[in-house]
Amino acid sequence: MRPLPLFLEPRLEPRLRSLLAAGDFLHPLVDALGSPLNVLLPEQLADNLARFRAVYRKHHLSGPIHYAHKANRSRAIVRRLAATEAGLDVASLAELQHALGAGCTPERIIATGPKNREFLWLAARTGVTVSLDSRAELDELAELVRKHTLPRVRIMPRLSGFEAPGARVLSRPSRFGTAAAGLDDLLDAVERHRDAVDLTGLAYHLDTTGIPEKAVALEGCIRAMNACHRRGLRPRTIDIGGGFGVNYLAHAAQWERYTTELTNAVLGNRPPLTWHGHGYGLRGEHGTLRGALTLYPAHRATAAETYLDALLSTRAPSLGRPLATLLLENLYDLAVEPGRALVDQCGATLARVLEVRPTPDGDVLLRLGMNARDVGLEEHGVLMDPVLLPRPGAPSTPPGEPVGAYLLGNLCLESDLITRRKVFLPRLPAPGDLLAFANTAGYLMDFTAGRAIQQPAARKVAAFRQDGAWHWRLDEQYWPVDGTGTAEPQGERQA
Amino acid sequence: MRYDSITDAIGDTPLVRIDPAVTGLRHIDLYAKLELLNPFGSVKDRAAWNMTRDALPAAVERGDTVVELSSGNTAKALALIAGMHGLPFKSVTNRMKVPEVKDLLLLLGAEIEELPGRTECLDPTDTDDPLTRIHRMLSAADSGYLHTDQYFSPLNVEAHVTGTGPEIVRDLDGRAPDHFIACVGTAGSSTGVAAVLRAHDPAVEVVGLVADKSDFIPGIRTIDEVHEVGLFDPGTYDTLQSVTADQAIDGMLTLIRRCGLLAGPTGGGAFHGALRHLRTVDAGLADSADRRTAVFIVCDRVESYLGYLRQRRPELFNQPARPNSLGSLTPADLAAARSVDVDAARKWIAEERPLVVDLRGPFAYAALHIEGSINIVDELFDELLHGGLPFGPRQPVLLACPVGEKSERYAALLTRMGHRDARSLAGGIIGWRDAGAPLVRD
Repeated sequence: MRPLPLFLEPRLEPRLRSLLAAGDFLHPLVDALGSPLNVLLPEQLADNLARFRAVYRKHHLSGPIHYAHKANRSRAIVRRLAATEAGLDVASLAELQHALGAGCTPERIIATGPKNREFLWLAARTGVTVSLDSRAELDELAELVRKHTLPRVRIMPRLSGFEAPGARVLSRPSRFGTAAAGLDDLLDAVERHRDAVDLTGLAYHLDTTGIPEKAVALEGCIRAMNACHRRGLRPRTIDIGGGFGVNYLAHAAQWERYTTELTNAVLGNRPPLTWHGHGYGLRGEHGTLRGALTLYPAHRATAAETYLDALLSTRAPSLGRPLATLLLENLYDLAVEPGRALVDQCGATLARVLEVRPTPDGDVLLRLGMNARDVGLEEHGVLMDPVLLPRPGAPSTPPGEPVGAYLLGNLCLESDLITRRKVFLPRLPAPGDLLAFANTAGYLMDFTAGRAIQQPAARKVAAFRQDGAWHWRLDEQYWPVDGTGTAEPQGERQA
Repeated sequence: MRYDSITDAIGDTPLVRIDPAVTGLRHIDLYAKLELLNPFGSVKDRAAWNMTRDALPAAVERGDTVVELSSGNTAKALALIAGMHGLPFKSVTNRMKVPEVKDLLLLLGAEIEELPGRTECLDPTDTDDPLTRIHRMLSAADSGYLHTDQYFSPLNVEAHVTGTGPEIVRDLDGRAPDHFIACVGTAGSSTGVAAVLRAHDPAVEVVGLVADKSDFIPGIRTIDEVHEVGLFDPGTYDTLQSVTADQAIDGMLTLIRRCGLLAGPTGGGAFHGALRHLRTVDAGLADSADRRTAVFIVCDRVESYLGYLRQRRPELFNQPARPNSLGSLTPADLAAARSVDVDAARKWIAEERPLVVDLRGPFAYAALHIEGSINIVDELFDELLHGGLPFGPRQPVLLACPVGEKSERYAALLTRMGHRDARSLAGGIIGWRDAGAPLVRD
């Protein structure tokens, strides 16, 4: 008996669903621009932003929502963002240049991450806020400001290593930030550098999905802000970073069934579900499961703005009041830096099916016009099925049986699989069909893409609806004037 | 009964028949093994004592710390046993989701270390789970730890092979029950009891219960999580079935409200799973004279799970509506509330010196507030108003909260309670600050 297909259907909201239903629009695009192709939906960004802002309003909070630029290099996304009220979190010199060029004014930009002197100089010169990683970075920045007689720089030091009351939480040590216990030394330095820097807030970012850990950190920041005010400093904003997560899958039940079966496969109780029996971090030892599942929790009931809402509604571990209430009554603004969550549903990655090869042991191999670097599913541990877009006008095949298939990339490497999971499709594809990887705009599109063996890097286009039809621009040709009825005809095609 | 040590009182728990009027079973006698009556409150007392008894003298000599990966009952029992022997106890856990359990453990003198949540930015090369890492640290020779290792230690199973299992057979007049139903946590009790019962009668049916995957029931693992348990052997169970948190709570409520058993959710889950399974069996026995027995385990008591229950079934804790609460305000009450803007408020304060009540938390008040205001945090103000006005009805009062929303509701409530001049600061303390009005720190 054939085992039931273990589908992991991607979650598609109306705009992305409508795009992936437009095979007549997408096929000619890939014909013209090559496979793989990244398609972005800039308008979705504004919708996502509005959802985050609604959570702020619900809790009566003010403060900036920064998009973490590193989630995607797209110009269209940053330009569309410039047309909203949101700010931008840039993590490199080039990202800062890009943000400024796209129309984000300096007061809406915050510079984060590891910084070289050039990055610090441009940030200081243009007057963007600098999120400071360490004492050493503060000293370097202050020295730079004095030496080049730059204007006073707004800074938000990043803290880490907060202590919880009651039980000790064994949070992963971070390479970023200054230990909260060393706050006094840091503030001494801030006061010494008063001529060069202006403390406007404090920040933290924890790499965890655990709300209790974040509650400890946020309360720690509220206490640290209070310590600043006692010294006569006047910071106003607490930046809690990002990490709100995305729900990638349509059905919780599919995710739960799949992970159970993966466990069974690792323990040898069923045929493998992955290439060469890969366990995604799990392994069986004498019938006992060991290791940890290194997969993104692809189905998440609480993600993006609902995660922020849940965090803000959590009671502070020692002060006892809900965190949103504490922020509000202490008169602090809240800043957030969602990346993945703000570009949720903002695009897809398309690839051409080049070859359909059944193997002697009953599997199907699909060779695609892309490689594993072009869509970071493996790199980020995101499991989901691609959407099959049959070639329009191809001789209509009867609606066949669902099929499980492994997706091979275009590098001459044994390990170049788009995902090591056997994906499931409603029927066997034919060469010339497209596979669409949904919801790739956050980190999955270009974070790792390169030009190994001179295979083409995916081009990007921005797509939008206008007058009842899909339109597109090359990513670099898109400006927020498009999609508002004043589009220039250049580069335009109509579906 | 006289004992030299409380640990001597572990075990020998009652086996109590559940009233057939409750079970509705006509051919099966269902018995509850009341492990909640162990001295520290749960079935885990047996394993905790069995895993430490022989190792304690040497551990005391070395001054070891007793350590276990536990989020509940095992930690509780071990904390007490360690305390009796003058040793510290530490629990490392990522599953402690019930706040009362955590507080209780701290009260018992336990040190708790919690494992972090899943990482958001995945590192696919990091496949070493924190549990394995901790395991390695604890198992190193001369680590200074006595690691009881409940998920892997054969002493856990042995506690039930020598205790729980034989007690059930003895109390059923030397016969094994036809059906045995248990929730799977460490798998210690189900494995140990099943071995004893099967040795008596190979035909015993053993039903293992796991938590529904999307659910959380304290003390029970999900179908995936049981595979991480070294003691878990699927061959122990004739069938593995899942129960949801809702079903476990329903079962628990029946045990509490109909049977006089103060069972926790795990016992409730076992009862629900037992009934669901046995009803089918019972129906198949319709016309036979065959009489059967079944036993399920009630692991622990309800009192530690109030927070868990409040979260899932708030209606169980419905209090009668209290007088003078914000929830009772009508639109007409709200329309009658008076608000004053920052300028008017400053003038009013200067001229009539109203009592200024700042409803924010004490931490925020201490940092910055309106000069001369007093701090009564909203939660406390709520309590005061249930009893009546905390100041005279003619005393002018200006209420302030962060944005002027809550204060307006309280002004409406005070007015309805007969206060003559209660006003809300429109825009709140934030509006006050943004208008450039002074805030002080004392």
